[in-house]
Amino acid sequence: MRSIALEIANRSSVFAVCFCFLFAIAPHFPHLPLWVSGMVVLSLSWRCLQNLGRFGEVPKWILIPMVIAGGVGVFAEYWTVVGRDAGLALLAVMSSFKFLESRRHRDLLILVFLCYFLIATHFLFSQSIPTAAMMLVTLIVITATLVTINKREQQVSLRELLQTSSRLVMLSIPLMLILFVLVPRVPGPLWGLTNEQRGGITGLSDSMSPGKISNLIRSNEVAFRVDFEGNVPPQSQLYWRGPVMAQYNGYRWTQLSRQPMRRLSLNVSEEAIKYTVTLEPNGEQWLLALDVPTLLIADSLMTRDFQLISKKKINDLRRYSMESRLSYKIGLDEAQDYLQKTTAYPEQFNPQTIALGKSLAARFNSSDEILNEVLGMFRNEEFIYTLKPPLLGDNSVDEFLFKTRRGFCEHFAGSFALLMRAAGIPARIVTGYQGGEFNKVGNYLIVRQSDAHAWTEVWITDRGWIRVDPTAAVSPNRIESGLDDALADETSNFRIQKRNPIFGDLLYRWDDLQHNWNDWVLNYDENKQRSFLNKLDLGIKNWSDMVIALVIMLVAVTGSFWLIAWYRELPPRPPGYEILFRRLLRKLARRGFEKKPSEDSRAFLQRIPAQQLAQPDQLARIIDLYNRIKYGRHGDSTLLLKQMRSMINSLQA
Amino acid sequence: MIALRLPRPVRRYFDNWFEAHNPLSRGTIVLHNRRLYILPTRFGYLFAAMLLFMFLAAINYQNSMAFVLTFMLTSLAIISLWHTHKNLLNINVELLTPRPVFCGEFCQLKFAISHRNQSRRYAIGIQYDQLPPVYFKLDPEGSTVAVIKLPTQLRGLFKPSGITVFTRYPTGLFHAWGWLRFDIPLLIYPRPLEDAKLQQSLVEQSDGQTSTSTIEGDDFAGLREHRIGESLRHVSWKAYAQGKGLLTKTFQGHARPSLWIDWQLLTHGSQEDKLSFMTALVLSAEKQGQKYGLRLPGKVIEQSYGSAHRNNCLQTLAVFKQSDPERELPLASD
Repeated sequence: MRSIALEIANRSSVFAVCFCFLFAIAPHFPHLPLWVSGMVVLSLSWRCLQNLGRFGEVPKWILIPMVIAGGVGVFAEYWTVVGRDAGLALLAVMSSFKFLESRRHRDLLILVFLCYFLIATHFLFSQSIPTAAMMLVTLIVITATLVTINKREQQVSLRELLQTSSRLVMLSIPLMLILFVLVPRVPGPLWGLTNEQRGGITGLSDSMSPGKISNLIRSNEVAFRVDFEGNVPPQSQLYWRGPVMAQYNGYRWTQLSRQPMRRLSLNVSEEAIKYTVTLEPNGEQWLLALDVPTLLIADSLMTRDFQLISKKKINDLRRYSMESRLSYKIGLDEAQDYLQKTTAYPEQFNPQTIALGKSLAARFNSSDEILNEVLGMFRNEEFIYTLKPPLLGDNSVDEFLFKTRRGFCEHFAGSFALLMRAAGIPARIVTGYQGGEFNKVGNYLIVRQSDAHAWTEVWITDRGWIRVDPTAAVSPNRIESGLDDALADETSNFRIQKRNPIFGDLLYRWDDLQHNWNDWVLNYDENKQRSFLNKLDLGIKNWSDMVIALVIMLVAVTGSFWLIAWYRELPPRPPGYEILFRRLLRKLARRGFEKKPSEDSRAFLQRIPAQQLAQPDQLARIIDLYNRIKYGRHGDSTLLLKQMRSMINSLQA
Repeated sequence: MIALRLPRPVRRYFDNWFEAHNPLSRGTIVLHNRRLYILPTRFGYLFAAMLLFMFLAAINYQNSMAFVLTFMLTSLAIISLWHTHKNLLNINVELLTPRPVFCGEFCQLKFAISHRNQSRRYAIGIQYDQLPPVYFKLDPEGSTVAVIKLPTQLRGLFKPSGITVFTRYPTGLFHAWGWLRFDIPLLIYPRPLEDAKLQQSLVEQSDGQTSTSTIEGDDFAGLREHRIGESLRHVSWKAYAQGKGLLTKTFQGHARPSLWIDWQLLTHGSQEDKLSFMTALVLSAEKQGQKYGLRLPGKVIEQSYGSAHRNNCLQTLAVFKQSDPERELPLASD
């Protein structure tokens, strides 16, 4: 055994492993620092040229300092060597050095195992269906490489190699499914995870300033999908509550320090709307819920401004069931200090707006009147809802309200809230999403980043916090039917239905597939496993049942593979007439006429004295039939076979 | 293979079990289920360790696709276990009776290998003890011959041992093997001494008795009546064609000196040296067409000639005072 591991690797294996490693790591290049990618490519090229005899081996005294330098380089890049990104970079650097010193059979096998491990690292970046498909191909390539190494320098064509490896991988799939469903899931994590910031995730931010949401709007990515238990509420009611901003510094709206709600206090009259949200990773802690959420879920808290906050950053898909009520009264007994905070504003910015607010407070007696006056201003005067507002200076609200008058939802919400505060009415900004696209194939709602929205809430005595959406006053279309209608000439159509009238159905199907993938594959944790096994109703209730079922299923599947292979290796079944003929011979043997192995069957049958049989001419007729079936030109000999069978059966009688 | 020292009864039990499952064979060995063994290789264990690590990482990150990958690779290992086993199953191996060789030459062990399945078999190795293995592959219902060249260091009659046929195809995670225990002896003649001078001195010491023989020779002597059993090569077909019946041509040989190769007359050198001298003498006597006989302590082979006689003499020399007949052939690496 030892001698095989230490054999010097042959050329084709080295090339195969180089190719396979490149294939496995190439999708990581965008995630890796440039120098790491460069190093990988350089090492692989060097190893290939060395294999061709162009270059020599890299001596140890150069290699060892380079390994140390590589480790230091990774540390300098990330200030750590653990965690997803730094760990991947370290793995890439070290394996490229391993290539430079790979000579033996053993080294190549270790490199192939590293390639298998690289597949796992891809799933830390994306778990989507295309990634999974790509990784299946990668798995076949790596396995083909493993086969190449183990074919012992024999001529095996590339086609055969790929065939063998595909067969191995495809046959593994049924077993994998069994393991996936039945291996008892353990709630993680087992050891501390560095809750690192993952770049490249779009989503709502914890502050709002002009231009922030209109940037988000340009992304067509799915923010979350919602399965409703009953009917989907009308579009204009679909306000998905996200980060609430109650603090204003003259330019930017930010969140107040999060204070968990001590006591849920709300007045509701109607039944709750029940639904399940499958939230794509947003890199933050926001859990989106329909306005206003009335349920608390595990690993999360609700702040006193009715914002759901996850305890951990949402870096992986998250699925939760929620309840909301569309008509409600909240904050009737709001604390005085909070009301004070939500009427505060810096005096030094936006003097015109503040003056207008103050004059409104002087002109009208009730908050409702002020509210209507301002909404009427938005509605009647020439305000334009646009994705491309002009840039604004220090007094952004003044400029917007009195000069440019072109803005997006954050402009309207921000200026409205400031006006209310100046008029002495507590107001806050709520960001989130508005609307969504209904997928009729899968019966669920798709909410995209392009549905991002900002609106306001104002506090009125005896009515509590009520939602006011100034954008609705300017552009009712935005709320009634979505962004594409409101800004038909500015947006490239985001929604499937609008974007692609022909392939629309197909695209809905694709989205539905992704939704199911999220639901069944990515979300298959211990709870899902339990509920799924319960639904199957096979009596698999606990851990030990699962293990027993697992063993039974594995044995059954491998056993059936084994049987199929055994059956296929069997020699072909003799034709029917031969089987009948053998039966005849057995019958005659019982009567004492044994066919000698050396004897021709015709000669043997002639040897039997006809008078010893009950029907003397029967035997001759059977032989005649046999010859006719065997040598005759019949398209279909079933009739003759039937005849032959009955004659043989009746022979003894 | 196992350096572990087991208690004697346990060892005997295992030996008996092994003998029962792997009986010595003179013919074809079929590697059926009960003769095949399979264990993970070191890389198999390394792979398992990697899978365990991957599983823990999947739990830690709660990453579903990492679970999928871990289970996929686990299944791949199970499937490759089956494929490795299948790659070797029901292969027929026959050791073609090896030709005797002189000590120092390579003894060629030829194995005729075949199978009757519709599948292809790849990268099967056949290995003699610690020697580098020889690899071969088989087409559907195909056959092949694999040759192992065995270096020889000792004369004698040996039994081949420690021959395995194995495979790690396709993934190298498992090592499947079967023992090939053949009851076919390997005969290794002593190394012939190549010192012409010494040979000469030995020839001089032998008695120079000469005689003529009329049984067979090189020069045509005449015709006589053919007797049943005589070689047809010597029938005079010309005479037969002339209607004279079957007549055998007889030949007059040269004067054939006869020779005793006698252990007692060799006074110098060790036992092995003497046997080497005697081997060389047998060869040269046979080559020169002499009649020769062999005198060893306790064994005398009457004077004769011909390849059968030669082989008889060489075999006698090969096994002379062999310490442990039927022992296993020792290898250079031991």
